[in-house]
Amino acid sequence: MLFNSLIFVVFLVIVLAVYYSKLFNWTNKKRMLLFASYVFYGLWNPPLVILLWISTVVDWTAGKRLAVEENERKRKFWLLLSMFVNLGFLGFFKYGDFLLENFVTIVNLFGLDYNARPMDIILPMGISFYTFQTMSYTIDIYKRKIKPARTFLDFALYVTFFPQLVAGPIVRAKDLITQFYEEKKATYNQFVWGIFLLTIGLFQKVVLADTLLSGVADDVFGSSKLLHGIDAWTGTLAFSGQIFFDFAGYSTCAIGIALMLGIILPDNFRYPYASLGFSDLWNRWHISLSSWLRDYLYIPLGGNRHGITRMYVALMLTMLLGGLWHGAAWTFMVWGGLHGTYLILEKLQKKYLPFKITKWNGIFLAFITFSCVNITWVFFRAREFDTAWNMIKSMFYMQHDGEKILDSFSVVKVCIVIGILFLCHWIMRNTSMKEVSQKTSPWVLGIVWAILFFLISIAQGNGEQFIYFQF
Amino acid sequence: MNLKKSFLIALVISVIGLACWEIYWRSHGKYPTLNDDKSLWAMHRADIETATKDDVVIFGSSRAYFDLQLSEWEKWTGIKPIQLSSTGSTPLPSFHDLVNNTNFNGTVIIGVTPGLVFSTTYPFAEPWQRIQSKVDHFHNRTYAQRINYKLSVLLQQNLVFMSGDEELWADDIDLKALLRRINMKSRTKDPIMPPFYYFGDVSIERNMSMTARTAKDTTFANKIIDVWKYYGGGAHPPDKENTMAFLLEDVNKFKEKGGNLILVRCPSSGGTRIGENMGLPRAEYWDDLVKKANVKSYHFEDYDQLKDLTCPEESHLSKEDANYFTRELIKIMLEDGAITNLKTN
Repeated sequence: MLFNSLIFVVFLVIVLAVYYSKLFNWTNKKRMLLFASYVFYGLWNPPLVILLWISTVVDWTAGKRLAVEENERKRKFWLLLSMFVNLGFLGFFKYGDFLLENFVTIVNLFGLDYNARPMDIILPMGISFYTFQTMSYTIDIYKRKIKPARTFLDFALYVTFFPQLVAGPIVRAKDLITQFYEEKKATYNQFVWGIFLLTIGLFQKVVLADTLLSGVADDVFGSSKLLHGIDAWTGTLAFSGQIFFDFAGYSTCAIGIALMLGIILPDNFRYPYASLGFSDLWNRWHISLSSWLRDYLYIPLGGNRHGITRMYVALMLTMLLGGLWHGAAWTFMVWGGLHGTYLILEKLQKKYLPFKITKWNGIFLAFITFSCVNITWVFFRAREFDTAWNMIKSMFYMQHDGEKILDSFSVVKVCIVIGILFLCHWIMRNTSMKEVSQKTSPWVLGIVWAILFFLISIAQGNGEQFIYFQF
Repeated sequence: MNLKKSFLIALVISVIGLACWEIYWRSHGKYPTLNDDKSLWAMHRADIETATKDDVVIFGSSRAYFDLQLSEWEKWTGIKPIQLSSTGSTPLPSFHDLVNNTNFNGTVIIGVTPGLVFSTTYPFAEPWQRIQSKVDHFHNRTYAQRINYKLSVLLQQNLVFMSGDEELWADDIDLKALLRRINMKSRTKDPIMPPFYYFGDVSIERNMSMTARTAKDTTFANKIIDVWKYYGGGAHPPDKENTMAFLLEDVNKFKEKGGNLILVRCPSSGGTRIGENMGLPRAEYWDDLVKKANVKSYHFEDYDQLKDLTCPEESHLSKEDANYFTRELIKIMLEDGAITNLKTN
């Protein structure tokens, strides 16, 4: 079920009505939320709910055993079982065809004439999100950082909580499960703020991503022609904006919906396109994933505890795997590799060419960072290396006969939207929407809110899926 | 932060704003319409799963869609056909889907618009992709999408501003369409397509009928003709060999299943007909297909009561003429034994 659909509006109204009715006690309300979450997921593809159930049962059992088991070998066994099941699902459903394809290529390189038909496995929606979430639970119990959930219901709801089930934020057990222990009820202000966040998120998705930017990005990246530099840059900027508004829009909706239920989810984006460098970027972009990768991959790989070379290797491996998390293709690995390279270069710059960031050079640095990020998006969006490489050549004017495929209005529109996006991020980088809203007159906020809602209504959209659902 | 006040202000302004927006467009002659989209197509494609030997399924492009009126068909035969034609599309992929993915062996009518039927088998060509995307949507749609569509129909049928159509009409009033109307100096070498205005109303049963404006306003109809000229000018040469082979394979499979296939050539007129006769001569295309398919077939030119029908925009009949065409065609088919009248049987 998509947040930007009528069925979700009906679903949410029913869930809220039952949640705030006096029909049920807290346990039954949680049961209702769990049931609603399975409906939310199952209306997409019912049989795949079974994967959620398996993941839930395995991690619940592993978590319980890890909490009481003292024998280290047995503890390792339960941890490995949990990881084997979760990564096994991920590997089979998400990377099955990719692994097979690469296996065939390697075998053919050795002169063996072997062909295999693609398995055409359906990718369960949000599998990368919920497997990472449940894995963090068992790993944290293994490290004795947290205690297991008090009840199976609390844990099952943690795995399946519908606002963040299919595209995050990836919430840690300590931040979410504990919220289920006591009855939750949004205050009036929380509830209304939740509706406001839902409006903002839908505006980002329906109006900005789908109506203003997606068409241009699709035209450019779907073109088989060698493009003019302006078209290549416009398409890349359009995708850059589209993916931000799409994903940040989903996260904002998720946070808003959860807040309407009195549940607090962490921020996932903090104005990333005004980042001052790449470490800053990863503290602002998809925060729940970057902190997951830091805690469960980068630090276990050694982090910065074993010298500079080892740290760079750990950093690069983390970013490469982070790239692969997004999709089963080498282009995603290149995307991750570029980010890894940027991070290493930034660390080298800080060591050998340090300089102070002032308000004068700050915006210039943010602009450079944003431009470099755009180059990585080319590999993220292009399905083939040839397309990506042609785009890069066009962007750096290495093509002399590139074709113009975009009309003038599309170019102007994308430049205006992305220009405003960049400036907004720059202005907002050290504050938050809540802070700004608190300083804004209720009339101005109300009028802005109405304009957003009006634009969502007349944009309508055709229920475009969120980009991150496929990851 | 006084959120309560902001919320109430937003609510009141939103309601007033949307009401004004709705009234404004209604005062400009707009009325609520249903979108002819893939969800509606898929809903009717699902009907084939429970269809019987008595049922009739129509495939084709916009001519079979505009010219064969479902209520008229039901009135004269006792059965309402399942209308699965698709504008601007070749019927090959949808008929292929029926033959290969269903057990249906009732009556299938294929509307033959030569420029589309013989156009291509290339999966990424527009005439193929348009209908293939509908077929794919039928097979891949989720339960959420099915329920969502039923909810959206209620809004589409009652609110003018819910007009965002897959077809991207030049006179749509959703935000994307309004932005498309902003004209700036062209920077591409591509020829500019004339504006393509909405010219047919579709019902929830998927009955398509030409709007009264198209039938009566010659200036408006001429704008639609300009679009046919644009498409005709940029059309690729037909691929008779591959399209014919593809279709005939499915025709034979369908006949082996005991299905009753009927080919129908719906009317065209004016410059469009002249262009069709020049580019895709009847003897070379229609007659050859009929001979090789060896099924009942009806060309409007062969019947006195049909041959002089005039299409207001050269390609489709007005609602009244479509009713007449359907009625007369049914009489011919009944006489010929191609279909049966369930009312009398």
